[in-house]
Amino acid sequence: MSLVDSMSMAKPNPQARERILVKLHGRELLNCFQCMKCTSGCTALKLLELKPHEIEKLVNLSLVDELASSDIIWTCATCLKCVQRCPQKASPYHVIMALRNLTVEREVKVPEAYMKAVSLVLESGLAEAAQKITTRTMQICDRESLKLPKIGTPRESFQAVFLKTLEEK
Amino acid sequence: MKLAAFWGCRILTSQYAYEMSVREVLPKLGVELVDLREALCCGDPVKSVNDFAANYLGARVLALANLTGLCDVLVPCNRCHFVISEAKHLLETDVRARAKIEDLLKEENLGYNPNIRLWHTIDLLHDCIGLSRIRRTVARPLKGLKLAVHYGCQILRYSSLGRVDDAENPRKLDELIKTLGAETLDYAERLDCCGSALMYSHADSALSLASSKLKAIQALNVDGLVVSCPDCGYMFDAKQKDGASVIGAKLSLPVLYYTQLLGLALGIAQDKLGLHLNQSPIDQFLAKVPV
Repeated sequence: MSLVDSMSMAKPNPQARERILVKLHGRELLNCFQCMKCTSGCTALKLLELKPHEIEKLVNLSLVDELASSDIIWTCATCLKCVQRCPQKASPYHVIMALRNLTVEREVKVPEAYMKAVSLVLESGLAEAAQKITTRTMQICDRESLKLPKIGTPRESFQAVFLKTLEEK
Repeated sequence: MKLAAFWGCRILTSQYAYEMSVREVLPKLGVELVDLREALCCGDPVKSVNDFAANYLGARVLALANLTGLCDVLVPCNRCHFVISEAKHLLETDVRARAKIEDLLKEENLGYNPNIRLWHTIDLLHDCIGLSRIRRTVARPLKGLKLAVHYGCQILRYSSLGRVDDAENPRKLDELIKTLGAETLDYAERLDCCGSALMYSHADSALSLASSKLKAIQALNVDGLVVSCPDCGYMFDAKQKDGASVIGAKLSLPVLYYTQLLGLALGIAQDKLGLHLNQSPIDQFLAKVPV
């Protein structure tokens, strides 16, 4: 079933559309004239059926709620081809990111890995933990054995300020 | 030339080969790096969760670079380079966002300096150090090698942000490889994405994207694939076996970072370039490197 089908019974939510526009820092998604250049070059089209032009249209019709709770907004590979190629500067990538942010605000289900990355940043400053690498000859290496400098830790003020930024809407 | 170095998470936590080779080759070309003392995420995974928080992290990188007293910062990761560029663009174009971010930076005793310039490994080597200096420094020309190039999405797009190379027909990495004596070739899938960002939510699709590209490159009978982004390196090198099993293909393509290739041409020892860390079958490539 396509995204448009699941929208056929949906109710428009103009306030939610306004929220998306505020999040776009002036990028004018109203300008989309459905030329589908974004979708024809989309990395996630073939495997995951992401159609950026549909997302543009649905947000423009204020059909935001179903979109924000749909898995489809998490299929973007962030390759940025749509931003580059859009003749109208409508930027589906930024619309998708705004929809993801809205989903998080509404505390709807978000892929776990993103929230895990955020909590790792909060804990250590980095979004990933240092790994040990096994070489092709089965030796185990880490930063220390490779004589790479130790990873520093963020200053004390970081956690409190980062938490504040996460509350920003 | 002296630059601050911001490595980002992926390089510091697993793509050690990229870090080692950058640290080896740049001093040989007259570049000194000063690491930022505090570890920090650029904001990339945070962008999907809260754009403002992500921009704050990006701005914070620039503020930490400012502490070194240097005006140039090297960001060797494509993704970090993009996220920090967007944060810089926001600071320069949105007065209200900038005031908010600067207030928060002040709480951390940090300040933003608009004069800081971002460099990626590719434009630092191509535009700043220059092909002629690299050519003069080459000790062992890589004659006879035929290589495929993968630029990675985020240093190319989107142009209005100011990127490292042309969005639709990038040439800098090709030229950098040719300068070492090797050949590069164009191929249809050249601008295809490695899929790494999808590892967060759709790992099988991400691996399928990476391995489909590898399969297409392998059919070209090249000696290897050259990358310059830790995320792409991770997908094509470390995840090559996993990707192969997802699409049911037999993949055996050597993948290495440009700085590793450059190091070989400069005559630097393989272990110093982290070549023992590559997970793809790099030995078949190394056997062809002229001594």
